[in-house]
Amino acid sequence: MNHKVDARGLSCPKPVIETKKVLDSLNEGSILTIVDNEVAMHNVSKLVQSLNCQVEVKKEKEDFYIYITKGDKIEDIECEIEDEKNLVILFGKDILGDGSEELGKILMKGYIYTLTEYSSYPKTLLFLNSGVKLTTEGSEVLDYLKLLEQEGVEILSCGTCLDYFHLKDKLKVGSVTNMYTILDTLHSAKNRITL
Amino acid sequence: MFSQEFYIISFESTHHAIQTEIKLKKNFSIETIPTPREISASCGLSIKFPCEKLIDILDELGKEIENVDVFKIQKKGKNKIITKL
Repeated sequence: MNHKVDARGLSCPKPVIETKKVLDSLNEGSILTIVDNEVAMHNVSKLVQSLNCQVEVKKEKEDFYIYITKGDKIEDIECEIEDEKNLVILFGKDILGDGSEELGKILMKGYIYTLTEYSSYPKTLLFLNSGVKLTTEGSEVLDYLKLLEQEGVEILSCGTCLDYFHLKDKLKVGSVTNMYTILDTLHSAKNRITL
Repeated sequence: MFSQEFYIISFESTHHAIQTEIKLKKNFSIETIPTPREISASCGLSIKFPCEKLIDILDELGKEIENVDVFKIQKKGKNKIITKL
Protein backbone atom coordinates (compact mmCIF):
# COMPACT_ATOMS: atom_id res chain seq x y z
CA MET A 1 0.00 0.00 0.00
CA ASN A 2 1.76 3.16 -1.12
CA HIS A 3 -0.68 5.74 0.24
CA LYS A 4 -3.02 5.95 3.17
CA VAL A 5 -5.81 8.41 4.01
CA ASP A 6 -7.10 8.07 7.54
CA ALA A 7 -10.43 9.87 7.34
CA ARG A 8 -11.88 8.56 10.59
CA GLY A 9 -13.54 11.32 12.54
CA LEU A 10 -13.75 13.57 9.49
CA SER A 11 -17.19 14.74 8.44
CA CYS A 12 -18.63 14.73 4.92
CA PRO A 13 -17.30 15.69 2.38
CA LYS A 14 -13.77 15.65 3.87
CA PRO A 15 -13.07 11.92 3.32
CA VAL A 16 -13.95 12.32 -0.37
CA ILE A 17 -11.84 15.46 -0.77
CA GLU A 18 -8.81 13.94 0.96
CA THR A 19 -9.04 10.76 -1.12
CA LYS A 20 -9.43 12.75 -4.33
CA LYS A 21 -6.35 14.85 -3.53
CA VAL A 22 -4.19 11.75 -3.20
CA LEU A 23 -5.76 10.09 -6.25
CA ASP A 24 -5.10 13.17 -8.36
CA SER A 25 -1.45 13.19 -7.36
CA LEU A 26 -1.01 9.60 -8.56
CA ASN A 27 -0.64 8.19 -12.05
CA GLU A 28 -0.80 4.63 -10.89
CA GLY A 29 -0.75 2.86 -7.56
CA SER A 30 -2.91 2.07 -4.63
CA ILE A 31 -4.44 3.97 -1.76
CA LEU A 32 -6.07 2.86 1.45
CA THR A 33 -8.75 5.18 2.80
CA ILE A 34 -10.16 4.43 6.24
CA VAL A 35 -13.52 5.88 7.27
CA ASP A 36 -15.74 5.30 10.26
CA ASN A 37 -19.22 5.50 8.77
CA GLU A 38 -21.20 3.95 5.96
CA VAL A 39 -22.18 7.18 4.20
CA ALA A 40 -18.52 8.18 3.85
CA MET A 41 -17.70 4.66 2.64
CA HIS A 42 -20.36 4.88 -0.10
CA ASN A 43 -19.32 8.39 -1.11
CA VAL A 44 -15.63 7.50 -1.36
CA SER A 45 -16.43 4.29 -3.27
CA LYS A 46 -18.61 6.18 -5.73
CA LEU A 47 -16.00 8.87 -6.31
CA VAL A 48 -13.34 6.25 -6.91
CA GLN A 49 -15.49 4.21 -9.29
CA SER A 50 -16.46 7.32 -11.22
CA LEU A 51 -12.73 8.01 -11.65
CA ASN A 52 -12.30 4.60 -13.20
CA CYS A 53 -10.36 3.04 -10.34
CA GLN A 54 -10.88 -0.34 -8.76
CA VAL A 55 -12.24 -0.43 -5.27
CA GLU A 56 -12.61 -3.04 -2.58
CA VAL A 57 -14.13 -2.41 0.84
CA LYS A 58 -13.47 -4.36 4.03
CA LYS A 59 -15.26 -3.73 7.27
CA GLU A 60 -13.17 -4.03 10.41
CA LYS A 61 -15.02 -3.42 13.66
CA GLU A 62 -16.61 0.01 13.25
CA ASP A 63 -14.33 1.14 10.45
CA PHE A 64 -14.41 0.67 6.70
CA TYR A 65 -11.13 0.03 4.87
CA ILE A 66 -11.40 1.12 1.26
CA TYR A 67 -8.66 -0.30 -0.94
CA ILE A 68 -8.30 1.72 -4.12
CA THR A 69 -6.23 0.82 -7.14
CA LYS A 70 -5.59 3.40 -9.79
CA GLY A 71 -4.60 2.01 -13.16
CA ASP A 72 -5.82 2.00 -16.71
CA LYS A 73 -9.15 0.27 -17.00
CA ILE A 74 -10.28 2.26 -20.02
CA GLU A 75 -12.41 -0.45 -21.67
CA ASP A 76 -15.08 -0.53 -18.99
CA ILE A 77 -15.67 3.17 -19.03
CA GLU A 78 -16.11 3.23 -22.79
CA CYS A 79 -18.85 0.61 -22.56
CA GLU A 80 -20.68 2.71 -20.05
CA ILE A 81 -20.52 5.88 -22.11
CA GLU A 82 -21.75 3.98 -25.14
CA ASP A 83 -24.75 2.79 -23.15
CA GLU A 84 -27.81 4.41 -24.68
CA LYS A 85 -29.43 4.47 -21.27
CA ASN A 86 -26.94 7.05 -20.08
CA LEU A 87 -29.65 9.55 -19.20
CA VAL A 88 -29.56 11.48 -15.95
CA ILE A 89 -32.63 13.23 -14.58
CA LEU A 90 -32.12 15.97 -12.02
CA PHE A 91 -35.06 16.59 -9.68
CA GLY A 92 -34.42 20.08 -8.29
CA LYS A 93 -37.77 20.30 -6.52
CA ASP A 94 -40.64 18.10 -5.41
CA ILE A 95 -43.15 19.51 -7.89
CA LEU A 96 -43.19 19.57 -11.69
CA GLY A 97 -43.42 23.02 -13.21
CA ASP A 98 -44.46 26.25 -11.56
CA GLY A 99 -47.84 27.89 -11.07
CA SER A 100 -49.77 25.57 -8.81
CA GLU A 101 -48.27 23.53 -6.00
CA GLU A 102 -51.24 21.14 -5.95
CA LEU A 103 -51.03 20.50 -9.68
CA GLY A 104 -47.22 20.38 -9.54
CA LYS A 105 -47.36 17.51 -7.05
CA ILE A 106 -49.82 15.57 -9.19
CA LEU A 107 -47.70 16.10 -12.29
CA MET A 108 -44.53 14.96 -10.49
CA LYS A 109 -46.32 11.83 -9.27
CA GLY A 110 -47.53 11.24 -12.82
CA TYR A 111 -44.04 11.77 -14.26
CA ILE A 112 -42.38 9.27 -11.94
CA TYR A 113 -45.21 6.74 -12.39
CA THR A 114 -44.83 7.03 -16.16
CA LEU A 115 -41.06 6.51 -15.86
CA THR A 116 -41.80 3.05 -14.42
CA GLU A 117 -43.84 2.25 -17.53
CA TYR A 118 -41.43 3.73 -20.05
CA SER A 119 -39.57 1.36 -22.34
CA SER A 120 -36.04 2.44 -21.42
CA TYR A 121 -35.06 3.46 -17.94
CA PRO A 122 -32.70 6.34 -17.17
CA LYS A 123 -29.31 5.56 -15.66
CA THR A 124 -29.50 7.89 -12.67
CA LEU A 125 -32.06 10.03 -10.85
CA LEU A 126 -30.55 12.86 -8.80
CA PHE A 127 -32.59 14.57 -6.09
CA LEU A 128 -31.64 18.06 -4.92
CA ASN A 129 -33.13 20.78 -2.73
CA SER A 130 -36.85 20.01 -2.07
CA GLY A 131 -36.51 17.15 -4.58
CA VAL A 132 -35.29 15.06 -1.64
CA LYS A 133 -38.86 15.10 -0.31
CA LEU A 134 -39.56 12.57 -3.07
CA THR A 135 -37.06 9.99 -1.76
CA THR A 136 -37.89 10.31 1.93
CA GLU A 137 -40.59 9.22 4.36
CA GLY A 138 -44.07 10.47 3.45
CA SER A 139 -43.36 10.64 -0.28
CA GLU A 140 -46.13 9.26 -2.47
CA VAL A 141 -43.70 8.01 -5.13
CA LEU A 142 -41.53 5.74 -2.98
CA ASP A 143 -42.96 2.54 -4.48
CA TYR A 144 -42.30 3.79 -8.00
CA LEU A 145 -38.75 4.80 -7.11
CA LYS A 146 -38.13 1.45 -5.40
CA LEU A 147 -39.29 -0.33 -8.54
CA LEU A 148 -36.92 1.77 -10.66
CA GLU A 149 -34.08 1.00 -8.26
CA GLN A 150 -34.81 -2.73 -8.55
CA GLU A 151 -34.58 -2.33 -12.30
CA GLY A 152 -31.08 -0.93 -11.94
CA VAL A 153 -31.73 2.80 -11.94
CA GLU A 154 -29.34 4.60 -9.61
CA ILE A 155 -31.16 6.88 -7.15
CA LEU A 156 -29.12 9.54 -5.38
CA SER A 157 -30.20 12.18 -2.89
CA CYS A 158 -28.11 15.20 -1.97
CA GLY A 159 -26.81 14.85 1.61
CA THR A 160 -26.64 18.59 2.22
CA CYS A 161 -30.29 18.89 1.21
CA LEU A 162 -31.43 15.95 3.36
CA ASP A 163 -29.66 17.58 6.28
CA TYR A 164 -31.20 21.00 5.56
CA PHE A 165 -34.74 19.58 5.60
CA HIS A 166 -33.96 17.36 8.64
CA LEU A 167 -34.62 14.29 6.52
CA LYS A 168 -31.26 12.53 6.98
CA ASP A 169 -32.78 9.61 8.89
CA LYS A 170 -35.86 9.48 6.69
CA LEU A 171 -34.32 8.41 3.38
CA LYS A 172 -36.37 5.48 2.05
CA VAL A 173 -34.91 4.76 -1.37
CA GLY A 174 -31.50 5.02 -3.00
CA SER A 175 -28.42 6.43 -1.32
CA VAL A 176 -26.91 9.68 -0.12
CA THR A 177 -24.48 11.58 -2.29
CA ASN A 178 -22.55 14.83 -2.35
CA MET A 179 -21.76 17.57 -4.84
CA TYR A 180 -18.68 15.74 -6.21
CA THR A 181 -20.73 12.76 -7.32
CA ILE A 182 -23.57 15.00 -8.49
CA LEU A 183 -21.14 16.97 -10.62
CA ASP A 184 -19.45 13.83 -11.97
CA THR A 185 -22.81 12.25 -12.75
CA LEU A 186 -24.12 15.33 -14.54
CA HIS A 187 -20.94 15.99 -16.46
CA SER A 188 -20.39 12.41 -17.60
CA ALA A 189 -24.00 11.90 -18.68
CA LYS A 190 -24.73 11.65 -22.36
CA ASN A 191 -28.19 13.14 -21.87
CA ARG A 192 -29.54 15.22 -19.02
CA ILE A 193 -32.98 16.42 -18.05
CA THR A 194 -33.48 19.01 -15.33
CA LEU A 195 -36.90 19.17 -13.75
CA MET B 1 -49.19 -1.95 -6.27
CA PHE B 2 -47.63 -3.27 -9.46
CA SER B 3 -50.18 -5.95 -10.19
CA GLN B 4 -50.76 -6.78 -13.82
CA GLU B 5 -54.51 -6.24 -13.63
CA PHE B 6 -56.33 -3.23 -12.29
CA TYR B 7 -59.06 -0.71 -13.05
CA ILE B 8 -58.82 2.96 -13.80
CA ILE B 9 -61.40 5.73 -13.83
CA SER B 10 -60.55 8.42 -16.37
CA PHE B 11 -61.64 12.03 -16.08
CA GLU B 12 -62.07 14.81 -18.60
CA SER B 13 -61.35 17.50 -16.03
CA THR B 14 -58.29 17.79 -13.80
CA HIS B 15 -60.34 19.37 -11.04
CA HIS B 16 -62.86 16.56 -11.15
CA ALA B 17 -60.00 14.04 -10.84
CA ILE B 18 -58.49 15.88 -7.87
CA GLN B 19 -61.86 16.12 -6.07
CA THR B 20 -62.55 12.43 -6.62
CA GLU B 21 -59.05 11.50 -5.46
CA ILE B 22 -59.58 13.38 -2.20
CA LYS B 23 -62.98 11.74 -1.72
CA LEU B 24 -61.84 8.18 -2.48
CA LYS B 25 -58.58 8.44 -0.55
CA LYS B 26 -60.50 8.57 2.72
CA ASN B 27 -61.61 4.97 2.39
CA PHE B 28 -59.57 3.38 -0.38
CA SER B 29 -56.00 2.79 -1.35
CA ILE B 30 -55.91 4.43 -4.78
CA GLU B 31 -53.32 6.12 -6.98
CA THR B 32 -53.67 9.05 -9.34
CA ILE B 33 -51.83 8.34 -12.57
CA PRO B 34 -51.70 9.94 -16.03
CA THR B 35 -54.43 8.50 -18.28
CA PRO B 36 -52.78 5.92 -20.56
CA ARG B 37 -52.44 7.35 -24.06
CA GLU B 38 -54.26 4.37 -25.52
CA ILE B 39 -57.39 5.76 -23.85
CA SER B 40 -57.01 9.48 -24.38
CA ALA B 41 -54.38 11.72 -25.88
CA SER B 42 -55.56 14.67 -23.84
CA CYS B 43 -53.61 15.49 -20.73
CA GLY B 44 -55.97 13.61 -18.45
CA LEU B 45 -55.68 12.09 -15.04
CA SER B 46 -56.99 8.74 -13.94
CA ILE B 47 -57.50 7.00 -10.64
CA LYS B 48 -56.07 3.51 -10.41
CA PHE B 49 -57.35 0.87 -8.02
CA PRO B 50 -57.18 -2.90 -7.53
CA CYS B 51 -59.79 -5.16 -9.19
CA GLU B 52 -61.38 -6.30 -5.95
CA LYS B 53 -62.37 -2.73 -5.06
CA LEU B 54 -64.43 -2.16 -8.21
CA ILE B 55 -67.89 -2.56 -6.71
CA ASP B 56 -67.12 -0.58 -3.56
CA ILE B 57 -65.64 2.29 -5.53
CA LEU B 58 -68.48 2.45 -8.05
CA ASP B 59 -70.81 2.47 -5.07
CA GLU B 60 -68.95 5.35 -3.47
CA LEU B 61 -69.02 7.36 -6.71
CA GLY B 62 -72.78 7.00 -7.00
CA LYS B 63 -74.27 9.25 -9.65
CA GLU B 64 -70.89 10.71 -10.58
CA ILE B 65 -70.22 7.55 -12.52
CA GLU B 66 -72.21 9.06 -15.42
CA ASN B 67 -69.48 11.65 -15.97
CA VAL B 68 -66.48 9.32 -16.01
CA ASP B 69 -65.21 6.28 -17.89
CA VAL B 70 -64.02 3.09 -16.24
CA PHE B 71 -61.49 0.79 -17.88
CA LYS B 72 -59.94 -2.55 -17.01
CA ILE B 73 -56.21 -2.68 -17.73
CA GLN B 74 -54.34 -5.95 -18.21
CA LYS B 75 -50.61 -5.65 -18.64
CA LYS B 76 -48.52 -8.12 -20.58
CA GLY B 77 -44.91 -7.03 -20.47
CA LYS B 78 -44.89 -3.53 -21.90
CA ASN B 79 -48.21 -4.07 -23.68
CA LYS B 80 -51.63 -3.27 -22.26
CA ILE B 81 -55.04 -4.70 -22.98
CA ILE B 82 -57.67 -2.10 -22.22
CA THR B 83 -61.36 -2.90 -21.89
CA LYS B 84 -63.99 -0.24 -21.36
CA LEU B 85 -66.73 -1.14 -18.92
